[in-house]
Amino acid sequence: MMQTTAVSFSSITNALLSLNSVYVLTGLVLWVFAAMTFRDRANKRRNGSGMFWLILGVIFVFGGVIPHWLTGLLVLAMVGIDGTGGVARGHYNESTKEEQASRAARLRDKIFIPVLSIPIVTFGFAIAFRLLKLDVNRGALVGLGFGGVTAMATCLWITRDKTRVMMQEGRRLNDAMGAVNILPQLLASLGVIFTAAKVGDLIASGIYRIIPADSLFLLVLANCLGMALFTIVMGNSFAAFPVIATGVLAPLIIQPFGVRPEMVAIITLTAGSSGTLMTPMAANFNIVPAALLNMRDQYGVIKFQLPFAVTIWSLHVILMWLMIKLV
Amino acid sequence: MHLTDLLKLSGIAIVIIGLALRLRTTLVVVTAGLVTGLAAGLPLFSSEGIFQTLPFLTKPGQEGIVNMLGRAFTDNRLMTLFIITLPAIGLAERHGLQEQSAALIRRFRAATVGRLQIIYQVFRVLTGILGVRLNGHPSFVRPLIFPMSVGAAEATFGAATADDVPEDVVEEIKAANAASENYGNFYGQNLSPVQPGILLVFGVMAGLGYAVSVWSLVMFAIPITTISVVLGAIQFRLLDRRYRRKAATIR
Repeated sequence: MMQTTAVSFSSITNALLSLNSVYVLTGLVLWVFAAMTFRDRANKRRNGSGMFWLILGVIFVFGGVIPHWLTGLLVLAMVGIDGTGGVARGHYNESTKEEQASRAARLRDKIFIPVLSIPIVTFGFAIAFRLLKLDVNRGALVGLGFGGVTAMATCLWITRDKTRVMMQEGRRLNDAMGAVNILPQLLASLGVIFTAAKVGDLIASGIYRIIPADSLFLLVLANCLGMALFTIVMGNSFAAFPVIATGVLAPLIIQPFGVRPEMVAIITLTAGSSGTLMTPMAANFNIVPAALLNMRDQYGVIKFQLPFAVTIWSLHVILMWLMIKLV
Repeated sequence: MHLTDLLKLSGIAIVIIGLALRLRTTLVVVTAGLVTGLAAGLPLFSSEGIFQTLPFLTKPGQEGIVNMLGRAFTDNRLMTLFIITLPAIGLAERHGLQEQSAALIRRFRAATVGRLQIIYQVFRVLTGILGVRLNGHPSFVRPLIFPMSVGAAEATFGAATADDVPEDVVEEIKAANAASENYGNFYGQNLSPVQPGILLVFGVMAGLGYAVSVWSLVMFAIPITTISVVLGAIQFRLLDRRYRRKAATIR
């Protein structure tokens, strides 16, 4: 009896600490947004917008159990709604700057407690998962999910405001971003299709054909350039690295010049990170933050990062060349 | 180059042209995926269940494009998890989060926009060393770093509220916030052997027949991470200098 209780207890904690539970929670939040959108008469496209968030909620709650072809069709439906201009903003009963200032005077620094609880809980989960030798990535994500829930609870407790008001405020921020929200997921799907279509092999063979095999500097340049370009196209240096490492780095630099593999491999990876800073395809790093911060220019983050990215990319080329020469 | 190869690359062309013309991004990306997949001869659906009997849409033993779309979209829900933080941030903003952040920063006289970004970038490198992955944009940047940075700008420009800070400055601060997160995260994460970047390199190199150690990968990541911190600091200090001059001309 004791044993069965222990087993079921651990399986309950396992289920609770799984990514699936935070996906379900996020899906429920999306359904609340959807319900509020359907009733928002100030939103000229309330049916389209409501459907969009409703479908996204369905994918979050049921994504793990429904067949992939159905999820694929649901994604196409969402893109169809957004493509025809069906996702719009509404009215959220916002407060004025003066109201916010007067409320700030009442709560003072207490207002930081809920906001701080998001990173603290995220951090706590990540460290706990690390100590328990569980997957650290999952820890941070599960932590972000429960951090969001903790923040909601403490924020309601501190402000003594209504849950409905809180969800309206959440919907305000969510609608400010709109369909950009799902862009990282769409781009990840594009990456999977590119890989299946072997687009990467094509690019690697192109580089192979144009560079002379005896000039170390040109090879290093081509290696770093190929890595950056491929990352710019894929939006992800992790997707680019295997292609460039297999097609360029190993056969053209490591083998013929007898270079220490770890030295050039890690610099090749971060040459890709320089590319990530320059591309709208890395939407979760460059486009979503712009939307999250309500920037007027959706490419504003990329424009700011461009001088840094170009400089550090050039330094990758020089550093790799120098290290091969000197070490 | 064969014609089919050129057709496969048309997906990249669609993305570049679509984004340059500022067409609806979701539509551009999905179109590029469908075109690339079809050009490569991939079927629309996997040959299973109700699709087994459809002769033209499926090919035996190959994953369909729509199935890939659904699978990758489901596997990457983690990228959109930040939605769960929005209600709390929204309600906190309603109760004066931005105003209070500005008041907090004004108490630290030495805080400037640039210095805050430098500190935050170094903090992200340190979390990278600890092997902790954070989704920094929703958990730190949006709720904390951004309002604090605007507060610092208020002090620099002698502004009474956030509305009195020049609008183009606020827009640039947003970009700087996102950039310091990206700089710190991208280059800092390679300083820990448990981070996915190092593990990926380890795995790929092992697959190519090179037995590399994760610790030596970390060691060789140190120079470029150092460069990234120095470069970031230069860019953010230049930002401060520009704001000081701008504030002087406004006054």
